Amino acid sequence: MSQSPEEQNHIPTSKAQRATKFLGAGAKVGGNYIKHYAKKIVNPSLSKEELHEDNAQDIYTSLSQLKGSALKVAQMMSMDKTMLPGAYQDKFTMAQYSAPPLSYPLVVRTFQKAFGRTPEAMFDTFSTSAVNAASIGQVHKATKDGKTFAVKVQYPGVAESVSSDLKMVRPFAYRLLNMNEKEMDHYMDEVEEKLLEETDYELEVQRSQEIAAACRHLPHLHFPDYYPEMSTSRIITMDWLEGAHLKEWLQTNPTQEERNQIGQALWDFYHHQVHNLKQVHADPHPGNFIILPGVTLGIIDFGCVKVIPEDFYRGYFSLIKKESLLNEAELNQIFYDLDFISDRDSPAEQAYFKGVFKEMIALLGRPFHAETFDFAQNDYFQQIYTLGDRISKDKMFRQSRQARGSKHGLFINRTYFGLYSLLNQLGAHITTTKPDWLK
Amino acid sequence: MENIENTHIPLKDTRTRILEAFVHHVLETGQEPVSVYKFAQSLGMTEQEFYTFYTSFQGVKGGVWDSIFTQTLADMHAQAAYAHYSPKEKLLSFYFTWIEELKKNRSYLLALYEKQPDFKKVTPQEVQSFKRHFLAFAKTLVQEGKETEQIVDRKYVSDKYPEALWLETLFIFQFWLKDTSSGFERTDAAIEKSVSLFFDVVGRNAVDSFFDFAKFLYQSKKAI
Repeated sequence: MSQSPEEQNHIPTSKAQRATKFLGAGAKVGGNYIKHYAKKIVNPSLSKEELHEDNAQDIYTSLSQLKGSALKVAQMMSMDKTMLPGAYQDKFTMAQYSAPPLSYPLVVRTFQKAFGRTPEAMFDTFSTSAVNAASIGQVHKATKDGKTFAVKVQYPGVAESVSSDLKMVRPFAYRLLNMNEKEMDHYMDEVEEKLLEETDYELEVQRSQEIAAACRHLPHLHFPDYYPEMSTSRIITMDWLEGAHLKEWLQTNPTQEERNQIGQALWDFYHHQVHNLKQVHADPHPGNFIILPGVTLGIIDFGCVKVIPEDFYRGYFSLIKKESLLNEAELNQIFYDLDFISDRDSPAEQAYFKGVFKEMIALLGRPFHAETFDFAQNDYFQQIYTLGDRISKDKMFRQSRQARGSKHGLFINRTYFGLYSLLNQLGAHITTTKPDWLK
Repeated sequence: MENIENTHIPLKDTRTRILEAFVHHVLETGQEPVSVYKFAQSLGMTEQEFYTFYTSFQGVKGGVWDSIFTQTLADMHAQAAYAHYSPKEKLLSFYFTWIEELKKNRSYLLALYEKQPDFKKVTPQEVQSFKRHFLAFAKTLVQEGKETEQIVDRKYVSDKYPEALWLETLFIFQFWLKDTSSGFERTDAAIEKSVSLFFDVVGRNAVDSFFDFAKFLYQSKKAI
């Protein structure tokens, strides 16, 4: 048990802290309700409007304090109500992160159930404590016949608890998002489906191999080999990648060329997946990338893969055509198809939301409109935050009790914002690319 | 001829035969045999012979519990890593192995205990012998934990730790009986979490610091 505190250290503290932040928002919202009812006793005419204002303010403040990737990204998305389920999803995975590491006897048991053998019998060496926490499991380092492996073991019962955990989050989420049940479910189903997929390690191995095979030709990318014969629905065995995580690597002061090289590799990797494979590694979180010697980008963890349906793909990416190339009627049609606006909206609402979305698209599509784009410019990101800030506080937006945006957009948005944010951290100068049909 | 052979069979094997026949009977009929007389007859022995091994069906049921425990210990010690385990890991390993043994007898145990009221309130008589063996095992774990300072020796309280672990054992058993998750994964999680909790509570924690501080204040006051 003297090991226990050490094991705890492997859990990324930032994750835990972020979880706390988010829980903080929840607590504050609860507080606002108390405040609201206390005030109401004194002044019965008090409207709920003030309460919602308080809530939105607190949620927003909490979100904006969250530095780093996913939630910062989620925060940008506040212009489109699809963002918050994303935040919930992160909160959910973070809760898993904060789970104490699996004990070694349980790892042994998982192995015995899966292979009928202990880890020691399968490998020459096997680390008894976890070397890293994965989103819903932990990673052990093992060797056999001179090769080093990373062995990911899933926490027991995670798959079973996904649905019930989401059910617990749901009522809280309706409150927070000011959305009704039906609209919320529109997104929650998508989140649930992805989370369930994430617990299916057999699927992950299969997809990792597929995507790796399809992307191997891209320069400066490296994929570990996976070993299906040593993997099951609860265990994944793959090559151990010896390198530095993105954050550690950045601390070693890499040159601009090196940072560009990694950034370009990332961009090309996503371009190829989205436009050619139509399925994408939808979790561009810094922890899922390892910088290998020779300034090569190692890609791990294909737990979250989004398959992009063709009709969604066409509509969504038509939006990055140069604005001059899209006429008003086309744009309206796309907005309808992607559920940004609907017949239930009043003409005033339609006009407002069209304006908002156009502004968003112009801003977010900017990297695509130039040959090269410098992601180091913080003022570009500042503009995005400012826009998000302005819109999320807008009355018109918060009063609309409608889900906006196709559910497929949920993970695609998350992917792009994650990518942008990674490129920003890298300070990379990128040669941006568009598929031929958009040129 | 058969009778002569029977007399050569060592005592232990007849015991095993009785246990197996009893389990078999429960599995087939969903209940205990009607009488010792009938049961002995089906085994081709006299009632009197039966009593030289067990005095009642309760004894037989106790024998099943004991044999599960013995098998668990044997399997557990057969694992190479076991010798290097900390007391916490040993306890986890015990529960995981035990659940695995229980699984082999799940239908039998369900037939007998599914409708049983809470074990913690009414522990069936036949579990007593297993309890004694478990307490002895738990005592060695607690002792080892104290020696390696993973368990804090607290006056009066720490003597009760094996008893507390016994309650945990009953909890795990009943949790497992009701578990419907695939591969009894939820039981695995219940074991993992409850053992962690136990060792967090018995290890050095805020309570010890609190008492230490309180004692210090009390003594300081006396000194002044």
